[in-house]
Amino acid sequence: MKFRTLEGLTVLFSWAAGLLLLSAVSLLLGYLLIKGYQSVNLSLIFGDASPLRAVLLKERVFDGLFPAIAGTLVLVILSIVWAIPVGVAAGIYLAEYAGSRVKKVLDVFFDVLSGIPSIVVGLFGFSFAVFLHKHYSDRIGPCLLISSIALSILVLPYIIRTTQASLEGIPLDLRLTALALGATRFQNIFLVLIPRSLSGIMSGIILAIGRCAEDTAVIMLTGAVASAGLPHSLFSQYEALPFFIYYISSQYANPDELMQGYGASIILLLLCAGLFSLAYGIRKGLNYWAFYRP
Amino acid sequence: MKRFGEMLAERTFLLSALASSSITLAILAFMVFMGLPLMKEGGFFQLLLKPWAPFQGSFGIYPMIVGTGAISFLSLVFAFPLSLGCSFLIGAIGPRPVRRGFRRLIELMTGIPTVIYGFVGIFLLVPIIRELFQQGSGLCILTAALVLGLMITPTMTLFFCDSFDRIPRSFLDAADALGASPVQKLLYVILPSAKKGMLNGVILALGRAVGDTLIALMIAGNAIRVPESVLDPARTLTAHIALVIAADYDSPEFRSIFTCGIVLYLFTMAVTFLVRYLGQAEGRRE
Amino acid sequence: MKRFTLVQLLSVISLLLALCSPAFSDSLDPFKGEKGVLKISGGTAHIPVMKDVAQQIMARNPEIQITIAGGGSGVGIKQVGEGLVNIGNSGRKPTDEEISRYQLLLFQWAIDGVAPVVNPKNRVKGLTKSQMIDIFAGKIGNWKELGGEYRAINVYTRDEASGTREVFWKKGLDKGQITPGAHVVVSNGAMKTAIGQDPYGIGYVSVGHIDKTVASVALDGVVPTNATVQDGSFKIARGLYSNTKGDPAGLTLKFLDFLFTADGKKIIEEHGFIPAK
Repeated sequence: MKFRTLEGLTVLFSWAAGLLLLSAVSLLLGYLLIKGYQSVNLSLIFGDASPLRAVLLKERVFDGLFPAIAGTLVLVILSIVWAIPVGVAAGIYLAEYAGSRVKKVLDVFFDVLSGIPSIVVGLFGFSFAVFLHKHYSDRIGPCLLISSIALSILVLPYIIRTTQASLEGIPLDLRLTALALGATRFQNIFLVLIPRSLSGIMSGIILAIGRCAEDTAVIMLTGAVASAGLPHSLFSQYEALPFFIYYISSQYANPDELMQGYGASIILLLLCAGLFSLAYGIRKGLNYWAFYRP
Repeated sequence: MKRFGEMLAERTFLLSALASSSITLAILAFMVFMGLPLMKEGGFFQLLLKPWAPFQGSFGIYPMIVGTGAISFLSLVFAFPLSLGCSFLIGAIGPRPVRRGFRRLIELMTGIPTVIYGFVGIFLLVPIIRELFQQGSGLCILTAALVLGLMITPTMTLFFCDSFDRIPRSFLDAADALGASPVQKLLYVILPSAKKGMLNGVILALGRAVGDTLIALMIAGNAIRVPESVLDPARTLTAHIALVIAADYDSPEFRSIFTCGIVLYLFTMAVTFLVRYLGQAEGRRE
Repeated sequence: MKRFTLVQLLSVISLLLALCSPAFSDSLDPFKGEKGVLKISGGTAHIPVMKDVAQQIMARNPEIQITIAGGGSGVGIKQVGEGLVNIGNSGRKPTDEEISRYQLLLFQWAIDGVAPVVNPKNRVKGLTKSQMIDIFAGKIGNWKELGGEYRAINVYTRDEASGTREVFWKKGLDKGQITPGAHVVVSNGAMKTAIGQDPYGIGYVSVGHIDKTVASVALDGVVPTNATVQDGSFKIARGLYSNTKGDPAGLTLKFLDFLFTADGKKIIEEHGFIPAK
């Protein structure tokens, strides 16, 4: 009898938890959409400037999100450019070349790296910038370059882990086939294994992109500012979408700015949701493409 | 020639791996280097226990440690039952379409940016808490813990689901063969086997909660006093770093944030080692 | 009939044209053809004015880029001293030690007050100075003691880098203690937002920033407005400074000069500050 009650309670509890979570998330997203849908239009992004001229860089945008969106875009691209080569290479090393002892040691390092809070990474970026400023060149300070390097450090573990996992997931017979036919290790990796695990690696990269796009703590300390216009040089400060949302939430000067904050949140959400679905779609799509290549 | 190319490739990969792992150490080294003057003066462990009163020369981070501890543990209290229930639903109890759909939804939720949780928290939850309890300003530990708990729930749920998935198929088949209902299968077969994995999940989620900056910065009030109740404003280690980063580079105040950074780093290391140790213990048992 | 000569006609026409041309063309002329980056950071009270001026300049001159960051007066002074920015704003006068350490040159372009503020829904409209000192020290804990509702007082203060805080603490609180249980916000804008959302909060903010979202509190009977700050009856006042390391040159110099022109003063007034003479 006692058991039956426990089981019944468990079912009740599970459904309650599920509903609670669902309603909390719906509340969150719903609130955002209801408050913000009115402000999502071209003037949110471009302010008073004409969209076409702004995108062609002929006209400056004040009072719009375009500089922040552009800043985030440039930042993400730069971070990925730094992170992909190092991350994929390290993942390949872990999966293909490392002996078990080396692997264990490196594993510990990467686990710690993946657990480091983002603000600590930002702090590192900031102190690195200060260090460079004092000892190398007066012109370097917190800027786009430093931010992108710090962000790439943040997402490095993602890329390393997914590369390693997808490579290790390849069945043994596939690994050995090319080698048996006389290919070198490197040829095997480059021509057989990587294409086979491409979908996994790509989805890891896309998740890393999503992480870079949404992160605020790192860029807050390494160069994002409230007002800077379009990013025009690697050594300049810049605006970014998540930083804008944070900034507006604590110091909006009037209801219009708050509306901008809501609109920006919706745009950021769409961006991250889009990237996420893209990662998922790529995983499925690339698998199909890799298997059924004509 | 081919051999040289091979070696080159291997060396390049090795170099990348070494570079990545040395960054881990470099981060710690930088923080120790920058924080050293303050720590030499104050003594590292003393700093952990002193209050923060820069105008009286006290640069301890004790209030921030209490703040981090209170908010993170409270958020776990909120997140754990929620994640448990949801993972039950996904892992065993829900009907097939619900399981897949819900899991997809939760995976999507992990992509919601933290700053958005903070943003909605400030405008939606803070006034509610303030009016509900008729006390304080709403910017307090409770509100921050609620939002933080919501944020880490998807991650924890996915961890739990993954540990359910890792149970050998034979266990589940045996339970089915004996005529167990899904709930019974869950309670008597899945849970006992997945306990270690779930503990892992809780620890990693705790790590994430401790490392979060924005929610605490935007919602918890950032007072410098040791909080006395959950309705008091508090400051976490992470928010402290974000707030003081703007101060004078050479001042002891500024250096205190490196102490915070070191504490956070050490905590991360502790979590990592704990999880690895538990994983090894489980591996050894099997 | 006297006929106007061509010269007279032309001079009249050019005079009329000169009177009709937009006022800005004079003040913004020095920026024509300039290019480069100007970095500004520091006091948060200055930001609205900085943004407006920057926008004017950048709209006419696409080759110029001006970045503006906040951080507080301490940050502004430190960053300009370290050469990280060209102009460091501060809401308090830099100390002699800072001036000599960084070789700062000060440019005060406005006077501003720092006023205690509460939520517009709050019944309390005026305080004595000793009441205010006790509130911020945490000694008076409930609005009931001041004639308001029976609710605890939520004190809001600024971070340590803030010039606004420094001025309020020195001149408003007579260097009294601010309770460690106070909420900390990071800028004037953030203070306004926080007080605007908390019906039981009290804080302090730059007078120029006060608008409908917060209600200023009369101190010893003096309501903080630009007028009372200017004639000295509201005592908690400070200058708004823009500081440079050494002599400003080029774009920096022109930017600072603009703040003292008629158009610059108009912008300063529009944002609620009192332009310097």
